[in-house]
Amino acid sequence: MSDGLQYVGKPISREDGVDKVSGAARYTHDLSRPGMLHTAVLTSPHASARIVSIETQAAEALPGVRVVLTGDSLCYRLGLYMQDKCILARKVVRYQGEAVVAVAADTLDIAREACRLVDVSYEPLEPVLDPQKALEPDAPLVHPDLGDYDHMKGVFFPEPKTNIAHHQKIRKGDFDAAYASADVTLEAAFTNPPVQHVPMETHATIAEVRPEGRVEIWTSSQSPYTVRHLMSVAFGLPHANIRVHVPYVGGGFGGKAGLGLEPLAYVLARAAARPVKVVATREEEFNTLPSRQGLHAAIRIGATNDGKITALKATYTWDAGAYADYGVNIGRAAAYSGAGPYSIDNCWIDSRVVYTNKIFGTAFRGFGHLEILWGIERAIDMMARRLDIDPVAFRRANLLEKGDTTITGERFTAGHGNPVACVDAAAEAIDWGMPSAPPGTPHRVRGKGIAALHKAPAMPTYTSCAAVIKLDEDGAADVLISGVDYGQGTYTVLRQIAAEELKLPIEKAHVTWDCDTSFSPYDWQTVASRFAFMGGNAVIEAAADCVRQLKAVASQALDVSPEDLVCKDGRVFVDGIPERGLDYADLSLGYSFPNGNSIGGPIIGHGRYIATGLTHLDPETGQGLPAQYWTYGAHAVEIEVDTETGEIEILKIVTAIDAGKVLNPKLADGQVVGGVLQGLGSALWEGFRFDEHGRFLNPSFVDYKIPTAKDVPRETEQILLEYPQTGGPYGARGIAEHPMISVPSAVGNALFDALGIEFTALPLNYERILLRILESGERA
Amino acid sequence: MTHEIAMTINGQREQVQVPAGMTLLELLRERLHLTGTKEGCGIGECGACTVLLDGAPVTSCLILAVECDGRDVRTVEGEIENGRLSELQRAFIDAGAIQCGFCTPGMIMSARALLERNPDPSDEEMVEAIAGNLCRCTGYQAILQAVRLAAERARARDATGGGHLASDRNASPTLDRKGRER
Amino acid sequence: MLGGFDYVRPRSIEAACRALAEAENPSILAGGTDLLVEIRNGFRSPDLLIDVKGIDELGHLDTDGEEWIVGATVPLNVLAERRAVRDALPALADAALSIGTYQLRNRATLAGNLCNASPAADSAPVLMTIDASLSVAGPDGRRTVPVSKLFTGVKRTCLLPGEIATNLHIPRPERHVRTAFLKQQRIRGHDLAVVNVAGAYDPSPKRLRIAIGSCAPTPVLLEPIDGSGSTAAVVAHAVELAAAATSPISDVRASADYRRAILPVLLRRLIDQLLDGGGAP
Repeated sequence: MSDGLQYVGKPISREDGVDKVSGAARYTHDLSRPGMLHTAVLTSPHASARIVSIETQAAEALPGVRVVLTGDSLCYRLGLYMQDKCILARKVVRYQGEAVVAVAADTLDIAREACRLVDVSYEPLEPVLDPQKALEPDAPLVHPDLGDYDHMKGVFFPEPKTNIAHHQKIRKGDFDAAYASADVTLEAAFTNPPVQHVPMETHATIAEVRPEGRVEIWTSSQSPYTVRHLMSVAFGLPHANIRVHVPYVGGGFGGKAGLGLEPLAYVLARAAARPVKVVATREEEFNTLPSRQGLHAAIRIGATNDGKITALKATYTWDAGAYADYGVNIGRAAAYSGAGPYSIDNCWIDSRVVYTNKIFGTAFRGFGHLEILWGIERAIDMMARRLDIDPVAFRRANLLEKGDTTITGERFTAGHGNPVACVDAAAEAIDWGMPSAPPGTPHRVRGKGIAALHKAPAMPTYTSCAAVIKLDEDGAADVLISGVDYGQGTYTVLRQIAAEELKLPIEKAHVTWDCDTSFSPYDWQTVASRFAFMGGNAVIEAAADCVRQLKAVASQALDVSPEDLVCKDGRVFVDGIPERGLDYADLSLGYSFPNGNSIGGPIIGHGRYIATGLTHLDPETGQGLPAQYWTYGAHAVEIEVDTETGEIEILKIVTAIDAGKVLNPKLADGQVVGGVLQGLGSALWEGFRFDEHGRFLNPSFVDYKIPTAKDVPRETEQILLEYPQTGGPYGARGIAEHPMISVPSAVGNALFDALGIEFTALPLNYERILLRILESGERA
Repeated sequence: MTHEIAMTINGQREQVQVPAGMTLLELLRERLHLTGTKEGCGIGECGACTVLLDGAPVTSCLILAVECDGRDVRTVEGEIENGRLSELQRAFIDAGAIQCGFCTPGMIMSARALLERNPDPSDEEMVEAIAGNLCRCTGYQAILQAVRLAAERARARDATGGGHLASDRNASPTLDRKGRER
Repeated sequence: MLGGFDYVRPRSIEAACRALAEAENPSILAGGTDLLVEIRNGFRSPDLLIDVKGIDELGHLDTDGEEWIVGATVPLNVLAERRAVRDALPALADAALSIGTYQLRNRATLAGNLCNASPAADSAPVLMTIDASLSVAGPDGRRTVPVSKLFTGVKRTCLLPGEIATNLHIPRPERHVRTAFLKQQRIRGHDLAVVNVAGAYDPSPKRLRIAIGSCAPTPVLLEPIDGSGSTAAVVAHAVELAAAATSPISDVRASADYRRAILPVLLRRLIDQLLDGGGAP
């Protein structure tokens, strides 16, 4: 199908591939500054304790130690939405693994030795580890001073003297009445454990302080401007005094959005008056740095006998851990998405973000949606069975369609995409309705499952993005942006868009890799599957600006009206008369007439995009417009289970996503295949384990297993549909998170098909599966 | 106590004084500034630090520099030939086998070692060769395609008599996943 | 830096034993894949590492027709890739290949796997069922310990301070003897065993030896089992012996309930393979 596009929609290879395959790509892990110090951190062994005393003299006296810091000297509160976090624990520790003391020394070995010489004495307190228990009236308070914390007012609503950091409500229609009068009802509860992003590059930051309150930071981050802004707010520094560089980043998945190690690196560098590098060990990445929140979901659904959902209520209790900065936004996003992609007239949701004395949660690919879809898509299947309706048909009958309203009152249009087509495509690709071929080996059973998905970018109503394109001496184009390409390939997509819009051969279009807040234009954060959409639109506008400038100068040079000029292959010429024109190289720094007079000047275009039409959600009803665009999709899966060991194998997994427009099929395919396997990790193997004292039990790859090349499903299929998104660049919408978020639900649904057992807790590991099989056999 | 050791790294002779406790990974990254090899876990579980020691892929975080005296070490920086990307590196790019890139150097070294010991590996052998390299981004399929592509291109090139992919090192017998000779 | 230890690389066993005797807190370094991790994680702090990979005698993989002699420094990949080993003892090759990753197996050794003495050691069950023994050298000379007598507790062996493993002696089984190894993991990627089992079956005189790992403080060798009678009866007997001889615990890897549930399954599958001709001689 020819759409006249030369680069957009083509499988262009990544330009950064060369640096990455040759070892030339330098990540924060690989950088150093002259005179740089190295950091070691001492963490809390207790989930909840009062810090009685910290003896640091022996550590300070060790030769090579330059700074030893404790929380006492660092009275800063950090947070984007909820300022509840300190740099180092002050007075109390709130989770096992929390950083208590930091040492900067000439070498890492000296820093670690110094930490061993620090003596901390604690008075252990009773921890609260279960979010349900944390809601009880006499539960220990993780943040007794919650009422004093700054937070984003009007958006988040912490409840002082409780463990509730935020409570988001959706009230559409009258759930109680509709449920009471429903023909069929269902009630079920589901749980997700916390999991970790496991970027292959752990968090790393270098901070260097300059005279007069200036600081320069290199950091493995998804959000240089957010780092700058939060540092400015926390430390009272003007934004211009803070310069943030983001080099190559070895994976983020949301865990490197917001602030990470930057404040710690800064205060150490400031105290030492030397550059300081902080690098998390893999154990610290698991045990000290944030995770994905755990969730307990209680769901009630009411429906008519002929399969129309009339009522849905969800009570989400998020296990935020000790700090809830990102947690509150996840709780909010989960609420407004919290009924799945369905048209439901009566929907009440209560999403509470609850503090516990465990590792704290942050953004993780999907931002609450994998967690809620586990419950919702399992409950949908359970209701379908109760109604004796095929699960695909049941979904078809209830998915959002043109004219429906969402649970926040947003009207669904054709430009939203096509959820039904996604479910149909996934169902067809898995031969839905046909039983699986019999397994070749005894004691094995097979099953199929399907699950729908949806997500919109969860971002503030003022989220914005800018792009600058400057033309070089030779007419090539450099695109400057502050999005971060941490693997998803956005820079390549933007390069394609720039080349397309500038009418430039793609070899002459580049996206400047390193991002530097001194000269890269603003972007909010590279999260939420928003950057191709927003950055793409910004680049389109910037390119149009360049083209306007090119034509303006060319029209004078050629003495024609700009309307008569066209651009193609890096040349501006009179429409129909290609020889009457000028190369971009003749115009990019200005144009000189034969007599020497020069006009124009260096061509620099700029473009921007701000979220349009978004509103805050009503605090009581949740009504409003939170979503710039929704992306819909579905997973379908066929599994095989060894009923004697519980071992589960994925025979085939299909992912259908409505991308609006596939900007680069090679990259899109990579996102889906990678996201699906990461989703399988959450589905089958991953989860934090804690002992009864709240101590983390599996902070390493020995006992926190992520999928390897041996764990790839036998067959995967990726289907990208293209129902254009209103306002998207070329009709595209974001797809980066979506490949992950209903994988566990589809597998859970397939397990029912295979075994007749309803699984409600993740992960669906071999042990859980076998023990449930045995239990159901005993009961039978 | 420090030890004086000499080794070949990417074809260059290096002579250094190292403490006994220094790992090969530390030597490469911190002393020799060859930062292509990465640290992902420090306990030999993730493969990001994979290098070739006398042609065999090993996790350099669990090898002491002193153990490498007199040995030959190859890292991803040595994969480039005359300033040009090797066929294997080119195959990674063409197959879309790179996302964040942090696992890529280790993957390339594991793949390089595989193709040297077996220029025509089965799918199972390819999986076994990279199963010790964790990747969180790609889902591995494109990486396996890259290895396949590199092997096919090298065989095609050898068939037409041009150049070679696998260096002429001590070839071990070609084996399947269970170690059976093929 | 992993630690402040020093390092020597003796060229002979005698020199190694001397170094071992003279140092205050030495450790033997072969593959290093267990030792260096323990040092990094602070569980061991030796002041001297004695690298035995320079001792020629320890690096050979030979057979004299009667037995295989696997030097203590032979990496697992070398062992598993030796065709003759794979043909004679497929279970040993399987067990070796189930350990860690390809990279790890270029360093880790059979002797190291045994001396580390994890209850889940993957090489131990196979070696116990085929009467393998470990030779060690020490200040009082050399001795040989049957692998079945090697383990005394969790991560503990009967080796005395000052003793160094030198070789593993593996009797070459008769051609008709079948061996098999099964390992239950949590994931297909590299993993420690949740439960592992090995068996050796000699059809004449129908003698079955089974060993079980990860279900007791040490790997456990069951008493010999009579293989005559129906397979189902043999399995039932093995399961009964196993239940009496093992005491699975709950740990971060698996619960005792799960281990207890799958052990009979693995035993049945193992015995089916051995008795009903699934495993190749």
